[in-house]
Amino acid sequence: MASQAIEAIRYRALIRNLVTKDLKVRYKNSALGFLWSLLNPLLMMVVFTFVFTKVLNQNIEKFPVFVLVALLPWNWAAASITLGCSALIDNRSLITKVYFPRVLLPISVVCSTMVNFILSLPALFLIMVVFHVAFTPWILYIPVIVLVQAIFLTALVMFLAPLNVYFRDTLVLVEVGLTAWFFLTPIFYPIEAVAPNLTAWMYRINPMAAIVAEYRTILYHGGVPDPLFMARTGATAVVMLVLSYFFFNRLNRNIGEQL
Amino acid sequence: MSWHGDRSSRSSDTAIEFRNVSRRFTLRHEQRSSFQDWFIGLLRPRGRAEEFWALRDITFSVRRGEAIGILGRNGAGKSTLLKLLTRVLEPTSGEIITHGQIHAMLELGAGFHPELSGRDNVFLNGSLYGFSRKQMDERFDEIVSFAGLERFINTPVKHFSSGMFMRLGFAIAVHMDPEILVIDEVLAVGDSAFQRKGYEALQRLKAGGSTIVFVSHNAEQVRSFCERSVLLVGGKMLDIGPTDEVVDHYNRMLQEEVVDASILRVRAIDDEATVIDRLESGRDLGIEVLLRLPGERHTTALFVALDLYDRQGLHLFGRTSELPDSLPLIDGAGPDTRRIRASLRGLPLAEGPVTIAVTLQRSAGPGVDTVDRQETTVEIDPVGMTGNRGMLRLDNHWDWEAPPDLADDPSSNIRLSRWTTR
Repeated sequence: MASQAIEAIRYRALIRNLVTKDLKVRYKNSALGFLWSLLNPLLMMVVFTFVFTKVLNQNIEKFPVFVLVALLPWNWAAASITLGCSALIDNRSLITKVYFPRVLLPISVVCSTMVNFILSLPALFLIMVVFHVAFTPWILYIPVIVLVQAIFLTALVMFLAPLNVYFRDTLVLVEVGLTAWFFLTPIFYPIEAVAPNLTAWMYRINPMAAIVAEYRTILYHGGVPDPLFMARTGATAVVMLVLSYFFFNRLNRNIGEQL
Repeated sequence: MSWHGDRSSRSSDTAIEFRNVSRRFTLRHEQRSSFQDWFIGLLRPRGRAEEFWALRDITFSVRRGEAIGILGRNGAGKSTLLKLLTRVLEPTSGEIITHGQIHAMLELGAGFHPELSGRDNVFLNGSLYGFSRKQMDERFDEIVSFAGLERFINTPVKHFSSGMFMRLGFAIAVHMDPEILVIDEVLAVGDSAFQRKGYEALQRLKAGGSTIVFVSHNAEQVRSFCERSVLLVGGKMLDIGPTDEVVDHYNRMLQEEVVDASILRVRAIDDEATVIDRLESGRDLGIEVLLRLPGERHTTALFVALDLYDRQGLHLFGRTSELPDSLPLIDGAGPDTRRIRASLRGLPLAEGPVTIAVTLQRSAGPGVDTVDRQETTVEIDPVGMTGNRGMLRLDNHWDWEAPPDLADDPSSNIRLSRWTTR
């Protein structure tokens, strides 16, 4: 375990290069390419705002900010799960030719999608300014939530990527699962309003609900985060990470043969 | 089963040690690779899994600074051995101990991403082997000039020719100061000047104390490079010792093994597999060959060459293909008889006799290591060739544009009028 950690540190340049590769390939080395990637969440924001404030007459104040603050972290989760799921299969030619710590492949997917998420935050801040949402010093708490989310996503991706090697339809099921998960996560609705007596349970069984709620607390409500709340979610994420890591190593041994 | 690597230990004199290493593969006839298969598998008894030992009880060690050759024909276990050595696969049993950073040239440019520039790929490739950005910075210029790609290094590698691709891969590999370098028949990269440069680079690495594992079925390359060699046959280590002796052993083995193979019959056939001696011009020509190959599987590579000649002996076509390890026996024929068929779609010959030569040989090169050879002749009937001259049957017609007034008049017979220039 310790020797593997040392090895991963030795290969830190690889994570960095894999992340830059992902970003460069996605944006094809152009700034415009990056702007295009911002357009998707902003358009989604417009659509949701139209549907919920005009069509369904929901009365949520500053709805664009309300929804965007949840949509961006959700997009990060969805992107890293779909891309991470096929991280091993997509790099088949590499895995069967070169030895390197393969666990870095799913990790680098979470990192590159995280960079993408962080780069999209200024767009959120801009929308906040437009709608006169006040910034509080608790904005500095964002890195804590990002860290918890990154650990949680790494755990998921480390579990799904090797599974997808053995069962190639994992990705199909994951995509269906993501759609369901999207609706079960309070992204375009406040969970307290929909199911007040299920709220606590929702936060317990769905870490994404807790994570999204926390971003919303500090950015949309301008409230003070409850440190215990993130600590619980963080602890869940760390336990999941350890379990997935063992799962990954277990399946990793035969991956060279399975691919 | 275990694997131990100790990067720092320069003190040890041994670079690589295999101790009773075996590797088993499970060939499942129904591979379960989806949940659906898995659920069906739960209901139905499992298909019999066939076990196959790619390597069996391999023990040898390599000193630091030594070059060792691994010889053997296809399927002898060479690739499995390399994959175990480079940790792509783990051994089923036994132990592999290596001292030093391993760099493998199994497939040059394996880690390249087509959309990235040559420059980005150099850094990405370096980091795959655990090199830091700084370490790669120090080597970058040398790598680029070695590969001769100064002008193209900022171009995405998808625009590289295959030669440029491999040259860059080779240049990276030899500049990583590998303590152990594993090479799988990649010396045939680029033009002869680059090959010489590559060969010299490898010699320099060797002189500098790198351990080299060289895998090839070309015995002469191994002879020129390695002091010692290992001979693998069917996953077992048949011989280890000075390269000259092992190469001789290998060559002797190759010769003994195929002495029995022969061509029984070569015949031209048509679409319905009927034997023919005449064929209409432009139709498909089939060639049926009966071979006598003793034994279930032959353990040496066998190649079959098909060549066509015209009546003056002009070489019209030629192609050499490797025979599979095992061919089914055919019923009702003599013992050890196997049949292969070739087909040439729409033979583009106008007329005249064509000589079909089938050669069974031990290596892929033209006219080398011939085991047996037979010929047959087919007469091509010039059907539908009225008005054509020459030996080839080619689709042909002229196109021209008629002036509008003439072209519009269906009764006009005047077709050839003037060429328009655009």
